[in-house]
Amino acid sequence: MTQILDFRNVDLFYDHVHALRGVSLSVNQGETVALIGANGAGKSSILRAITGLRRIRSGEIHYDGQRIDGRNPADLVKAGIAMVPEGRRVFPYMTVKDNLLMGAFTRTDKAGIAQSLEMVLTRFPRLKERYGQAAGTMSGGEQQMMVIGRALMAKPRLLLLDEPSLGVAPKLVQDIARSIVAINRDENVSVLLVEQNSRMALRISQRAYALTTGVVALSGNSSDLLSDERVKSLYLGGEL
Amino acid sequence: MEQVIANGLYLGAQYALVALGLTLIFGLMNVLNFAHGQMYVLGGFITYVVYGQLGLPFVVAVLASGVTLAVVGGLMERYLFRTVIKRSHREESTMLLAAATAFFFDAVILLVFGEKQRGVPKIVKGVFNDFGVILPYDRIVVGLVAAVLILGFIAFMKFTKPGRAMRALAQDRTAAQLMGVEVDRYTMIGFALGAMLAGVTGGLLVSITGVNSGIGGPISIKAFMMIMIGGAGVVSGAIAGGFILGMMESVGLTVLREYGDVTYLVIFAALMIFLSIRPNGLMGKPWG
Ligand SMILES: Nc1ncnc2c1ncn2[C@@H]1O[C@H](COP(=O)(O)OP(=O)(O)OP(=O)(O)O)[C@@H](O)[C@H]1O
Ligand SMILES: [Mg+2]
Repeated sequence: MTQILDFRNVDLFYDHVHALRGVSLSVNQGETVALIGANGAGKSSILRAITGLRRIRSGEIHYDGQRIDGRNPADLVKAGIAMVPEGRRVFPYMTVKDNLLMGAFTRTDKAGIAQSLEMVLTRFPRLKERYGQAAGTMSGGEQQMMVIGRALMAKPRLLLLDEPSLGVAPKLVQDIARSIVAINRDENVSVLLVEQNSRMALRISQRAYALTTGVVALSGNSSDLLSDERVKSLYLGGEL
Repeated sequence: MEQVIANGLYLGAQYALVALGLTLIFGLMNVLNFAHGQMYVLGGFITYVVYGQLGLPFVVAVLASGVTLAVVGGLMERYLFRTVIKRSHREESTMLLAAATAFFFDAVILLVFGEKQRGVPKIVKGVFNDFGVILPYDRIVVGLVAAVLILGFIAFMKFTKPGRAMRALAQDRTAAQLMGVEVDRYTMIGFALGAMLAGVTGGLLVSITGVNSGIGGPISIKAFMMIMIGGAGVVSGAIAGGFILGMMESVGLTVLREYGDVTYLVIFAALMIFLSIRPNGLMGKPWG
């Protein structure tokens, strides 16, 4: 199986905070991989490193067979890496339409952009109803759908999702989980999913990594981890 | 009454143009550009030289003002503000830098152009006198050009790719980066554009009010008042602030004339009360 992402032995710092300590992980072509861990474990830092938002201190990041650490975010968007950031980060005073079009900022193929827009609006019909509305006035769940749609507008081959269930009404979490599965299946895109909602993440992914204070503590098949006693007590809150 | 409105609109259009440049720079990089008035003055002197002294067409002179200031603004962003923002996380660092550039420009302008008030030949002769309004044609021309530039700017921000990139940057820098917006490039374009607006307005206005090296500071103060009224970082706020200040000035000069030179005293007092009630201005949100 070919790897689309290979994250090798990466160290990352914020001033003196050593946020990632020799982290290695990979995503295979077509896979959904979950990344779980407590607050401050370093999950978002991994995504920031991949997208070029934050420089790594040492280690290597390979995407699609090429080394990408040190390249700037705009380059990586063009190469096919899209990210849905933590906290959604909509453009609050732009309409849903303009937000979605921003997702296609690096693209120039008009017909292709129109196609992607059509696909996003079919996938999230709610966005069609809100099309001309300022994004900041929508509910958390609607905003989450929009930023997933916005990321898809880049026509990515690797989609990074940072806690898409955060701040979303419980009954919508199901919907979002289903969309992630469908996107992974239909759009030829591999997914790296960061979640605090570990149970949901393990259910919809094939493999998973569990992170503790900047170190990969556990990894394996998601179904195995779901029934692993250590995972249950540490990441699933015991109940089941 | 009609006369007061006509004067207010004329003043408002040029003020709004100055405020737009200032608010663009603020919205994009959180920098309060204290040198904005000096940029206006520099634009004025360039038009004075190109049109008034070299005798080239007025349009060419104003374009020269715009282009020069765009270059100056671009260089300031690239070599001064960008470096300071990268090295310092304290907001006052850029404020101090902006103040320093204002003093620097003041000194350079004084050195190069002297302290005399400078004017240029009228661009159009004659006076419009109808419907109870007396307004020289050149003011009408300048007012209309300013209005067209304002509309052009709005269209640019709304419908072009760089415009959308800058709005996105102002609303959420990180998200814009994740969309593939080259932050450095568009921040520089924005700063250049803001400086250009100041330069063009200075160039236009030299044909009416003339220019002298001492007015940079006062112009900056007016520009800051406008974005305080409208709300910093908002396009519609800058425009509203410009026209409101223009109108207040026009009304004040007529109504308060008999009390002496108190218009701005009254405006300042009103602004302080207004800000204590609505500290974010009329439309205190970034980039609607
Ligand atoms: N900008 C920053 N400056 C300093 N320290 C930071 C910064 N961002 C993150 N950190 C620190 O780095 C560590 C990892 O943070 P990160 O955001 O990657 O965690 P996370 O697993 O995504 O947590 P959360 O579940 O809260 O989102 C934490 O200790 C955090 O405090
Ligand atoms: Mg996080």
